[in-house]
Formats: sequence, C-alpha cells, structure tokens
Amino acid sequence: MNRIEFLASRYRAILAYTGLMFLLVAGLMLTPLLVLVAWPDEAVQAACFIVPAVVMAGAGWILWRMFRPRGAAVLSAAEGGVIVLMSWSGAIFASAMPFIPAASLNLTQAVFEAVSGWTTTGLSVVDVTQVSHMVLLWRSMMQLAGGAGLVVIMLAALAGPIGPGLSIAEGRTDQLVPQVRRSVRLVVLIYGIYMVLGVGGLRLVGLTWFDAVNHAFPAISTGGFSSYPDSVGHWDRPLVEGVLIGLMILGNLNFLTAYLLLRGRLRSVVRNGEIRLMALLIPVSAVVAYLATCRALYPAPWKAVRVAVFETISALTTTGFQTVTYGSWNGPGVWVLIVLMLIGGGVCSTAGGIKQYRVHLLFRVMLGELRRLLLPRSAVVSEPLWQGEYKVFLQDAQIRQVVAFVCLYLSTYAVGSLLLMMTGSALEPALFEFASALGTVGLSVGVTARGAHPVALWTMSTGMFLGRLEFVVILVTLIKLGRDFQQAVRFTSRNRV
Amino acid sequence: MSAHHYVVIVGCGQTGSRLANRLSAQGQSVVVIDRRPESFAALSLEFSGFSLEGDGTDSACLEQAKIGQADLVVAATREDAVNMMVAQLAHRVYRVPRVVARVFHPERASFCRELGLTTICPADATADAVLGLVGFGNSSCGCREDS
Repeated sequence: MNRIEFLASRYRAILAYTGLMFLLVAGLMLTPLLVLVAWPDEAVQAACFIVPAVVMAGAGWILWRMFRPRGAAVLSAAEGGVIVLMSWSGAIFASAMPFIPAASLNLTQAVFEAVSGWTTTGLSVVDVTQVSHMVLLWRSMMQLAGGAGLVVIMLAALAGPIGPGLSIAEGRTDQLVPQVRRSVRLVVLIYGIYMVLGVGGLRLVGLTWFDAVNHAFPAISTGGFSSYPDSVGHWDRPLVEGVLIGLMILGNLNFLTAYLLLRGRLRSVVRNGEIRLMALLIPVSAVVAYLATCRALYPAPWKAVRVAVFETISALTTTGFQTVTYGSWNGPGVWVLIVLMLIGGGVCSTAGGIKQYRVHLLFRVMLGELRRLLLPRSAVVSEPLWQGEYKVFLQDAQIRQVVAFVCLYLSTYAVGSLLLMMTGSALEPALFEFASALGTVGLSVGVTARGAHPVALWTMSTGMFLGRLEFVVILVTLIKLGRDFQQAVRFTSRNRV
Repeated sequence: MSAHHYVVIVGCGQTGSRLANRLSAQGQSVVVIDRRPESFAALSLEFSGFSLEGDGTDSACLEQAKIGQADLVVAATREDAVNMMVAQLAHRVYRVPRVVARVFHPERASFCRELGLTTICPADATADAVLGLVGFGNSSCGCREDS
C-alpha cells in the first residue's frame, strides 16, 4: 500500500465518522420542536429547523454509508482533529440556518449566534423579546451539546473509533477512568446530574419550566445565553442568583475533579491546584470589585455585594450571565473582569479561557525559579502538583506546552482586540469584548450588537471557535490537511504525466 | 470476554504492551505499570488506559493503580523474581480474582504453580506448541491453569 492509498483509507474513516457526527447534529436540531407541545401556534416555524436537519441527516447518512469502516477504526489525535474540525464547522453552519428566517438575521449574524452557542460563549445578536420559544430552546440546546462536546456525546451514545485520539482532539485530555469509552460515559452521566440539578433547582426557586431549562442548560455548560434581554438581572432575586452560582461553579469544575467529588475523595479535591486557585481568586476579585466599583455604584449594600460576587463568578467560570450592565463600571471593575475572563475555568471542563490549571502551573514555575535563586547552585528543585488523585512532578515538557499555549492565547488576544478597535470600538470595550469571546465567556459591554461591523462579528466568531477547541488542535489540523492535500495533488499530477 | 474488566499489567515490554493494546481495544479498563517511562512508547493508538511510572513490587504503586479493584493482574516484566513477587502480592495481599505471572525459567515456573499462581512459562508453552503442531500432544502444559 503506497502513501496515497494509505491516506485515502484514513480519510475514508475520517469522513465516515464525520458523517456520524452530522447525524447526531441533525437529531439535536429536531429537539426545539418539543416546544410545539406547549405552543402549537409556533408550528409555522418548524420548517426552519426541519429543513436543515434533513439536509444534515442526508449528508451524514451518505458519508457514513459510503465510507463506513469495517469494524471500528483506530484514529490518531491528528486524524481526530480533522473530524473535530469538520464536524464542528458543519454543526455550526447547519445550526446557523434556523436563525436566518426564524430570527431574521443575516448570514454573518446567524453564524455568530451559532458559534456563540456551540462554543458555550453566550454573546448574542438575537433579539430575545421578538423570537419564538423554538429559537430560544435551540440556543440553549446548542450550549448544552457544545458544553459536553460532539465527540463526547457521540462516543457515549453511538459506536465510535477505538482509542483516545478523538476525545483528545476535542480538548478532553484528562481521563476519569482507564478506558476512554467508560470515561466519556461518566462525563455524560455527571453532566446529566448537573442538568437535573440545574433544572430542578431553578424550578424550586420559582422559575417556569421553560425559563428553568433555558437558564440551567446555559449555566452548566458555562454558556450564558439567556431568554431575557437583561439576562439574570431580569429576576433580581438572590435565590435565583445563588442557584446559578452553584451551577456555574459545577460547570467550571474539571470533570475529573467532579468525579472525585462524587466519589467522596474530598482530600484529593482540596489538594487540587485549580480548586485552590479558584478559592483564592473568587473572594479576592469579588472584594476588589466590591470596594472599587460596586460599593459606589449600587446604593443598597446587599445589592452591591451580590453584584460583585455574581459578576466575578460569571467571568471566571466563563459563563457570561449578567445581573447588571457594565456601562457605568469604572476601570478597576472592568479590569478585574477582564483578568478573570482571561484566566477562565478548569481544564477539561465546559469552561474556556487560558484555564486555571495552566495559570496555576505557571505560577508554581515562577515560585520555583525564585526559590532556585536563593538556594545553592547544585540544589535540585522539584515542584509537586496534584493531578486527580496523583502527585506528579512538573516536567519540562509540560511547562513548554503550557508556555506555548499561553503565548499563542495572548498573541491571538492582542490581534483580535486590535481588529475590534479597527472596526470602531474604543480600547476598553475592545479588550473586554475580545477577552470575553476568546475565553468563551459571553459578558458584553455592548460591542456585540445586531448593528456591529461584520468584520467585528467574524473576528469574534473566530476567537470563540479557537478558544473552545484550544488553538493547537485547529492549527495542527489545518497544517495536516494542507500537507495531505499537497501530497494528493502531487501524486495525481505525477500520474497524469 | 464481553463483560467489563479492570486489568492491571505490570511490565510494558513486548508482551505487556501487546496485551494492554488488545485489552484496551476490546473496551477493558487497563492500567500499565513500568519503571521506565520510555517503554510506554510501545503502547499503540488503540490504548486508552492509564500508564503509571513506578515499581510494580512497591505496594504504594500497586495501590495507585487501584489493584484492589482489579479483576485481573498480569505480571510480565523481564525479571522472573519480580513477576513472582507481583503475582504473590496480587494473589495473597490484594485478593485479585485472577492473577497471571510470566516466568521464563521452567523450574521456577513449576515452583510458582506449587504456590498456587497461574503461571505461563514461554519455554514450556513453545515446547507444547511445537508438540501440538506436529501432532505429538500429551505433555505438561506450559500455561496450565491450576490454583
């Protein structure tokens, strides 16, 4: 078998599994039809969902039938990356279609909304007061599915390739148990528990079923879409905010940590660096936001405390629910939120950002280097970290990866916010909004709007996509695709001669 | 083997890694222990279990691999003594239902069987296979199962 035949056989398997993912997306696209039970008069909009779902299902079915591998294929992480990139792009374009007729958006706005949904960001250009219940539920469903990840859902529900290549490609690097398929099922189980807790909890504090679903799904997926224009501020009730804070923190937990918590391994949870960093960051930033901003802005002290706590947690967990608008916030408050959005949630969770694990690791490296300066030259310094239940020592390779990632993240942040400024935003809103997009947060100071410049919307869409799929996968996959394509072209042209 | 099993493999050499790859591809939970992290390179793309750097005769390491939950422990390092030690630990201390030790030396292997461990001796197994192949069966089995 020569190189080209080998490539062809690999791409057949890749296309087959992409087809399977398309079928899954098609199934998800039919879920908004459930609201017809309660609001039958919305049936006029059913076609907006059924048509793209049928097209998607047809494409998926053809790919799967044509290229279905005999037995389960074994995929490398790079090949998994191709599947992830193609199926996420397909899912986003298909999901954007219903918004064009049903929410009267143009293509740019519709794609923006779909990217924001699937990447669990929560920036929105839909006028939620004007659209049907179906559109609102679809936004929440995208976030629910995007939070778990297409690969995770597929591996848990359907057959899939053998090996960890595919789930690594979607950013699920921590495995809960030593078998990827069982690990993925556990993730879905934990996610399901969150879902029940979320809907039940919000229902208990007095929301309607529809509101409970539309705020529980975006909370546990750290998405942050809301069915009200003033987001969680719509209720202005401490109990609702309390339940949502709980859900957001659950959503931002590494699934491995959640699994340990579920099994009662409290010691391992408390020792975890991410948990410690979060336990430090939330109170400190809430206090800073309270003292510097909220105390002066909101006359009632209890309201000021609530706002400071809710907004900082919403930013750090990269959810993006708001109880207030930030138009009147001063410098320190906005700065705190930007820094929290850049740090982001736990690694291997539904949250985005640089991730607490990487920040914690870099912080430890910095401390280690400082300590090294104070010790004799021949001293050996090793930094222990707790990962899951294991104590591991920092390896240079790990540090290199983290440094490369953070560098890539911050360069993208610099370029993206510059682009936003070039489309007319001021410095502060541009820095805020792009940190929000790149970290898949969804807090907004108003750059995201229906009337926003198309370049600004595409810049933020790209930022959200890169942020959710963790850069490296996309870059490596694009390079791989380019190389494989080049090889195929060279081969066919040589044959023609 | 259709049901799910938790397997701990000590030694990620040619045998250990092949076993780990195949079990993992079947859908079993597999933890591989080896002293040298380089040896994990032998694990293929099919492998989705955990690999643990450590000494398989060290009970802390075995406990980190959650040997107490294991349905099967395979001792496949290149040292007979290590394999016998691991197998005995798994069998006696951690009460693992099925333990398999690979022991190269036939005399040590029969001693191992006397201790009540399921033992595979490559030399005996090869001899059996040859005899079986040429049709002169009837001999002591290299991978006899007695416990």
